Amino acid sequence: MTPPVQEQATVEGGALASAKIAGGVLPGWATYAVVIAGAALAAAVLLATGAFTVALMLLFAVPVAAVGLYCWSRAVEGPRRAKDRVLTLLIASAFALAMLPLISLLYEVAKRGIPGLSLEFFTSDARGVINGGGAAHAIVGTLVITGVAALISVPIGIMAAIYLTEYGTGKLRRALTFFVDVMTGIPSIVAGLFAYALFEIFFGPGIRLGVMGSAALAVLMIPIVIRSAEEVLKIVPNHLREAAYALGTPKWKTITKVVLPTAFAGLVTGVMLATARIIGETAPLLVTTGVIDSLNSDPFNGRMQNLAVYAYNEYRSPGVMKQASYDRAWAAALTLIAIVMILNVVARLIYRRYKTEIR
Amino acid sequence: MPDKIRTEYQEELDNLEASALGGLDLVNTALVRTLEAVEHQDIELAQIVVADDDRIDGRYLEVHQSLITLLATQSPVATDLRLISALLHVLKNIERMGDQCVNVCKVIPLTGNEPPADARMVELILAMGKQTRALIAQAKRAFAERDVEMARDLVKQDDIVDDLNRNGFRLALEIGDDVDKREWAMTMLLAARAIERIGDNAVDIGEQVAFVVTGLFREFEDASHPEG
Amino acid sequence: MLGAAGTKRNAEKGQGQMSNVGPVTATSTDPVMGSKGRTAKTIEARGVNLYYGDFHAVEDVTMTIAPNKVTALIGSSGCGKTTFLRSLNRMHELTVGAGVKGEITLDGEDIYGAGIDPVQVRRLVGMVFQSPNPFPTMSIYDNVASGLNLNAGRMSKSQKDGIVERSLRGAHLWDEVKDRLDKPGTGLSGGQQQRLCIARAIAVEPEVLLMDEPCSALDPVATLAIEDLIGELKSKYTIAIVTHNMQQAARASDLTAFFNLEETGKPGRLVEIGPTEKIFTQPGEKATEDYVSGRFG
Repeated sequence: MTPPVQEQATVEGGALASAKIAGGVLPGWATYAVVIAGAALAAAVLLATGAFTVALMLLFAVPVAAVGLYCWSRAVEGPRRAKDRVLTLLIASAFALAMLPLISLLYEVAKRGIPGLSLEFFTSDARGVINGGGAAHAIVGTLVITGVAALISVPIGIMAAIYLTEYGTGKLRRALTFFVDVMTGIPSIVAGLFAYALFEIFFGPGIRLGVMGSAALAVLMIPIVIRSAEEVLKIVPNHLREAAYALGTPKWKTITKVVLPTAFAGLVTGVMLATARIIGETAPLLVTTGVIDSLNSDPFNGRMQNLAVYAYNEYRSPGVMKQASYDRAWAAALTLIAIVMILNVVARLIYRRYKTEIR
Repeated sequence: MPDKIRTEYQEELDNLEASALGGLDLVNTALVRTLEAVEHQDIELAQIVVADDDRIDGRYLEVHQSLITLLATQSPVATDLRLISALLHVLKNIERMGDQCVNVCKVIPLTGNEPPADARMVELILAMGKQTRALIAQAKRAFAERDVEMARDLVKQDDIVDDLNRNGFRLALEIGDDVDKREWAMTMLLAARAIERIGDNAVDIGEQVAFVVTGLFREFEDASHPEG
Repeated sequence: MLGAAGTKRNAEKGQGQMSNVGPVTATSTDPVMGSKGRTAKTIEARGVNLYYGDFHAVEDVTMTIAPNKVTALIGSSGCGKTTFLRSLNRMHELTVGAGVKGEITLDGEDIYGAGIDPVQVRRLVGMVFQSPNPFPTMSIYDNVASGLNLNAGRMSKSQKDGIVERSLRGAHLWDEVKDRLDKPGTGLSGGQQQRLCIARAIAVEPEVLLMDEPCSALDPVATLAIEDLIGELKSKYTIAIVTHNMQQAARASDLTAFFNLEETGKPGRLVEIGPTEKIFTQPGEKATEDYVSGRFG
């Protein structure tokens, strides 16, 4: 096999004539060089006109780099490869643009939240404290409320998903799927008001309980669990069910002993991700769980604080030492993000550990 | 993976080969009896040989049908395929050998129940018979052992039978000068010729051995191209 | 005769039992050869018509699956042989809208009779599928025992061990896996997985074994190994195989049934059934001759 030809002139004959690269090849660092050059040029122009910001520089760097790369590549490599390169550059830029808010967000929250973190933050609540105090009650509250919500949602959601995939037929199934899809779009405040109204019937107006928050979150969580569980159950190949039926296994046993174990990893991941979705919902919790300064871990007894509402409160009505309050608000947000991240990582680990290779 | 696969097929093929070669034993028996009938002018024995040829024909049909079935159901290739093709040819040779014995036995009654007119002729025929029996045994061994050299040697052994046959021709001419003995001499000549044909069939079997082993079909000795 | 709607009434709720079957218990009189000393059963199909909704898939099949013999069902794609096979263990009705007309009997009893539980039928008539499908969450041991775990009653560990060993030996897989029975079933090669599925099927000691193109996903050597195995299994079971590999049908079966479509859109029919030797040396119908000699696909 002869090495690729580096000639600049016309291509020789032979079987591979049509495959030979017409012209040369740009060096590997070409794209990076062009982007840097574009950025430098944009920076120079912006500085000259006095309107320099990093954002503007990057914004102008991309089109400049694209044009420059195209011209250079076209001259050396030919029009087709030039288009290739420019398209790759534009797609990469779009990706970077999409990532920007996320990175920026993480950066900001970390920057502003870390000053608020302290041992006190994690260990004490705000009872009887005018200034200072911690968010232990909020952390516990978030975990309890979300935990109970998951406890409600998971059995209902998974069983509904089992019904839809294993038993549902035709019209009824399509109707149910439609309604589930609608439910996934319920505004979270509506879920909160629903939970409040429900408990008001039994307990009278003004009731505030941790479990009400769980109920509201469950309303939001169930459709998500149903959809992801349904997808996972659908992936279980039909020939496994057939193998069980052919052995003379009744349907319910096939589901519990074959389908669910095979889908286990996916189901767990789906549940964890659904949990991560609703853990930060603020609006429903505002109208259901109330605001309280002391630590309460009993969902059936009185108000319960949680991180989302806590952050909102600290920001809206800071104490005398405003900055400390703001810091604590940011720290609460950071904690929430950290919990979500941990849930995601755990979900991934569980998936990798328990997933079943289906040949 | 299990140690051996398709064992039933292999066994069936081996059995059919044994059955086919076993036909040569039947031919040998027929030939022995034929020679004895010639030696003693035994008409009854000759009739037995003729009747028993049904057994050889039966063997032919039975093994032939099984081979066809094996071809249809087992899709044999390579050596198996050549073997089955060779066995089909060999079966035909065996059946012809049996028929030649019958031919000899049919002419014996024509000579009547008298003692032979010329002992030399009878001895010549017996000598041819003995050599032919050796040819048959050698052909069977060559096939069973897939020995191409042994198979090629069959040509030389058959040359002896051919020489004897030529001698027989001259002897018959000589005897035939006597008008009374002429008919007898002609009859004996027919018998000699039949035995010579048995020898040729044995050589054909040898050619099939070469085909199985080498995949090439060559005539060892072609009547139309006599070697020097 | 059952109407097409007849099987859609939820037959899972059937109360009856096949009268010639008791619950599957392990009476291990012989650890290698098997417990029940029974003769394999005959399946007879009479006037069987199969539907998918309104589509008439298989028309008027009448044939016998003979005991202790291997019957091969051959024919071009879409001619209904797999559909017919799946009707023999009531798997056909699992497809939404599927319908069955006609009579299919196991040793004289109609398996679609009123009050017959299809789950029980499937324990009597086992099936091995085209792609090996061991349960991925179970070990090799559990896979073989899954038929027992999933439908039979309680069984002692030693009884289960005996059955598992017997089934794996019967499937010619014991020597290769006896040291790793607790490893996942999916860790084996394709041929081994298929033998595992066969072991799983024979562990519940069905009367009849149905195989739907059991070797089509396997390499030639594995295929021949499975064919040898099938040749041995027929001494204990009645076996029916669907195959689109004619040489396999020729090698491995005693009887061959040729299914055919007149034209696409028409239902599949049984054209000819007879001893395999005869079908491949002198078939009765011209259509059969054309198919087996490869003159049309």
